[in-house]
Amino acid sequence: MTAFDGLMHGFSVAMRPDVLIYCVLGVVLGTFIGVLPGIGAMAAISLLLPITYYISPEAALIMLGGVYYGAQYGGAVASILLRLPGTPQSAVTTLDGYPMARQGRAGVALFASMISSFLGSMIGIAVLIGLAGWLSNAATSFGAADYAAMMVLGLVAASTIGSKSPVKAFAMVVLGLILGCVGTDVNSGVQRLTFGQTELLDGINLVALAMGLFGVAEIIGNVRAAEREGSPPHVSLRQLLPTRDDLRRLPGPIVRGGALGALFGALPGTGSTISSFLSYALERRVSRRPERFGEGAIEGVAGPEAANNSAAISAFVPTLTLGIPGDPIMALMLGALVIHGIQPGPLMLDARPDMFWGLVVSFGIGNLILLVLNLPLIGIWVSMLRIPFRWLYPAIVVFVCLGVYSVRGSSYDIAAVAVIGAAGYLLAVARFNPALLLLGFVLGPLIETNLRRAMLIGRGDPMIFLTRPISAVFVAATVALITAAIWGALRKRREGLGQR
Amino acid sequence: MKHFDSRTALAMSLVLSGAGMAQAQDAWPTEPVHVYVGFPAGSSPDVLARLITEPLAEKLGQPVVVENKPGAGGVIGVQQMLAGKENYAFGTTINGPLTTSPRLTADVGYDVAADIAPVTLIATSPLVLAMAADAAPGDVAGFIDAAKAEPDAIAYGSVGQGSGAHLTAELFADAAGIQMLHVPFASYAEVTTSIIGGEIDAGFMAPSAALPQVEAGKMKMLGITSSEPFAQVPDVPVIAGQADIPDDFRAELWNAFIAPAGTDPAIIERLNAEVNEILKDPAVQEQMLTMGWQAQGGSADDLSQRISDDTETWGAVIDRVEAQ
Repeated sequence: MTAFDGLMHGFSVAMRPDVLIYCVLGVVLGTFIGVLPGIGAMAAISLLLPITYYISPEAALIMLGGVYYGAQYGGAVASILLRLPGTPQSAVTTLDGYPMARQGRAGVALFASMISSFLGSMIGIAVLIGLAGWLSNAATSFGAADYAAMMVLGLVAASTIGSKSPVKAFAMVVLGLILGCVGTDVNSGVQRLTFGQTELLDGINLVALAMGLFGVAEIIGNVRAAEREGSPPHVSLRQLLPTRDDLRRLPGPIVRGGALGALFGALPGTGSTISSFLSYALERRVSRRPERFGEGAIEGVAGPEAANNSAAISAFVPTLTLGIPGDPIMALMLGALVIHGIQPGPLMLDARPDMFWGLVVSFGIGNLILLVLNLPLIGIWVSMLRIPFRWLYPAIVVFVCLGVYSVRGSSYDIAAVAVIGAAGYLLAVARFNPALLLLGFVLGPLIETNLRRAMLIGRGDPMIFLTRPISAVFVAATVALITAAIWGALRKRREGLGQR
Repeated sequence: MKHFDSRTALAMSLVLSGAGMAQAQDAWPTEPVHVYVGFPAGSSPDVLARLITEPLAEKLGQPVVVENKPGAGGVIGVQQMLAGKENYAFGTTINGPLTTSPRLTADVGYDVAADIAPVTLIATSPLVLAMAADAAPGDVAGFIDAAKAEPDAIAYGSVGQGSGAHLTAELFADAAGIQMLHVPFASYAEVTTSIIGGEIDAGFMAPSAALPQVEAGKMKMLGITSSEPFAQVPDVPVIAGQADIPDDFRAELWNAFIAPAGTDPAIIERLNAEVNEILKDPAVQEQMLTMGWQAQGGSADDLSQRISDDTETWGAVIDRVEAQ
């Protein structure tokens, strides 16, 4: 079946009234759970799973998919308005989205995030249609050494984002790496830094960490500020509209972020949180004025939002073409198919083309609905800022607790949020950037397991990182990046000496 | 009533509570029953549990609520069950938390023999030895020969240190007199990707994890660890008896219905009867089989025996692995 026939066939599935209704239901629900801090796609999909017993498998997958990518839209809202990421994927959006909101440009930031999310998804869909076969081959030819080298490059490239002091940035990354070590070591089964607590055997809950560091810490920090401040600045309609300069700045980050997200989404185990971080790092590097980042640069919103949406779409590539789920949410969706007696695998594309193409077309429809739904909502979201903090914050704390609890039904995680929140507040007071901690936390375990796995497979020979071509390219890029940074620093120092 | 002394009160309360107890037994359950599952919604242990709990709710005339408490390979689910309300908290679990976890985890917080009352076995699942379709060995004997070429000639993937896939492979290696290189992963999805990508050579895995790749011509299955051929993959030969592998070689994962030790024996008896009846339903058996599980059932004592047998078998494997 050619892509064109496939798409036509997909339309016939996705436009079926029942399927369309579940698609709308999925994306609307996704938006809202994305907006609510802490409650993520994972929790929503596991709650919806029992319902999917009673509907057709196409409708089930399309609805669950809608929740998944819909949440990426909503996640940015609270990040921008309140510096409180709705989902871990949108944590990096706080870095420039929130400063924009403080400058009275919340509407513009939300507009940028929505349009980037939409176009990023479109890039993801184009990749899914055009390159699915190629990407699924890439996914199997990526070995442990390649993953490790790629993640190291990512860590080096992104390790200075959002911080003026390199020492503080480094400290945060290292703290994140250490926290990432908590739990059972995959290779030896040894427990690390768990202090005998069974709840820590699988590591610290990512959602609890993100919500504590950003959400709760921000709320504690604002309690005193809120007492002093009056009502937030009035936002006029004019301020909701982006300027011509804003619009001119959007295409580059969206295209780069979308491409980056499509690649990372398709690689099992990497996911959209990492792609949004790396997109931010990339935008800062290619920018002619990197000092604007962290002060409300619209590129810092557009890139990551395009990346995480594109990744949410291309995450379906290994899931649908190989039957290999890239993250726990994808595994859950495969579970929904298994319930219907459909065995996901390399043959699904041929055996159930209605499934694949119906889903692809529904992505297009769903994202269009999301855009149409979300653009008018911008005004309403912004007016949320007018709600007095004394009403807003307790409500948010409740949602954070609900959300964190919903991940695995553990009250331990709620206590963890409180502790992490208090620590996060202290870090914020000392001007450390929690985004870097999160980066280290997410990348650290991936680097470690893949590095050790590669060494095992290479029977202890580190040359495996240089003999594999993919890995060698990443290693070379990492070395180049570090050399450039050292050379730049030396030159700056020499110039400083010359002036004196 | 000045002479209404404490002794009368005590006697009365004893009578009342005695009556209450008798009534509770007759009418059990009078409120929703909770079944703790140590894995997330949508996972294979969760779907297995729901295949049981849905008909069970009908039979008991009360809702049966599945409580997903994932973590620590299922140990958290057992812990939460033990903390639940007496006579209303039960659990379904894979074999790990009852057999190997107490050995592998520093402190699971419970003693299987003292704290757990077995109800019944639900289902068993063998593992298949899978390789890439273009790998040289064509059968188990060829695989063993290839492995004997030199120690660690063959690298195999598992779903973690101490997982069923890891221990099964080590049990096999010991029976075959070979030494293989263990490469731990987090999921079967990663193991299959790595085998197809040619990074590692083999892996013991659930038949349902290998089957789609086998049908697509990317992988092949050399043998299966059950003592009889398995209905989901009837063409795969049993490993027992091949090459120098003893005839009684067998390794199976299982899933069981359990209760806290303090549970009323009458309730355990009732649950055993109901679950066994549910497992006799051909529709339930069929659904389990598509997921790679063989419905089993049996008495509570059968399950006790299985727990102690497997604790011994796997304990010995763990001893050998740790000694290496």
